[in-house]
Amino acid sequence: MGEIYLTAEEIRTRVTELGAEIARDYEGREPLLVSSLKTSVFFLADLSRAIPIPHAIDFIALAGYGGAASRSGVRFIKDLDSAIEGRHVLLVEDVVDTGLTLNYVCRTLSLRSPASLAAVTFLDRPYRRLVEDLPVRYVGFTVPDEFFVGYGFDLDERYRHLPDLRLIKLT
Amino acid sequence: MLDFQAYCGRGEPRFANDVELECAKLLDYYRVPWDYEPTTFVLERAPDGTVIEAFKPDFYLPEQDLYLEITVMKQSLVTRKNRKLRKLRELYPDVRVKLFYKRDIQRLAERYRLDLAS
Repeated sequence: MGEIYLTAEEIRTRVTELGAEIARDYEGREPLLVSSLKTSVFFLADLSRAIPIPHAIDFIALAGYGGAASRSGVRFIKDLDSAIEGRHVLLVEDVVDTGLTLNYVCRTLSLRSPASLAAVTFLDRPYRRLVEDLPVRYVGFTVPDEFFVGYGFDLDERYRHLPDLRLIKLT
Repeated sequence: MLDFQAYCGRGEPRFANDVELECAKLLDYYRVPWDYEPTTFVLERAPDGTVIEAFKPDFYLPEQDLYLEITVMKQSLVTRKNRKLRKLRELYPDVRVKLFYKRDIQRLAERYRLDLAS
């Protein structure tokens, strides 16, 4: 297993800061936190507990890109359970790099007329953006171009449970 | 021709390699409008007006107003391409262009399980 990049304590501290910031910005607006399955679930669970104002949570899941087999285009394989018209929606992302996924989610959800739509991401790789015009309002950590496991990030579904974020070298 | 949904160019795109094709498929999958090699930027002309150096980025994303150049060369071999890119930015400061190196493509391939034959 690779070296620790962010300790559980460092993650906890930053998530607490993000929660306080979000609580300030969304005071009186009862935001809906929307997490995309599965990686960001760990971040969502911690973030939700760090936001000391009333809020709700919901989940979406997208069909993963499968190369040549993916002719039909990106789509939700699990949609929101709640209606978002008139609500303040905060998308909770594990990582934003190309921005392709977040761009699709934003475009789709904005058609449902939320009162506002913004995003918080645990990790950010802004240097790899293909889509720039994204409502990423909160960033946990800007990270280098490395592969991580732990804190929800997996390698073939393993290591999600690790409390620290670890670097891993792919051979 | 592959059945691209988000391709907004004219004519059939003729990709130089499989990496470009996979990038096109990825953009298409996420419904990001794209065009292939729509613009040639003149970098240098001879005194008689003949174009002696030009740069044609691989992709253009109209919604982002962004050009993408994909290179599959090793980092150490992209000096000439980097020089052209610097020149482009000097001559066309309002043009947004991003260079994706082999390493970037490999990262994308890992993340999106791209089918890269080269």
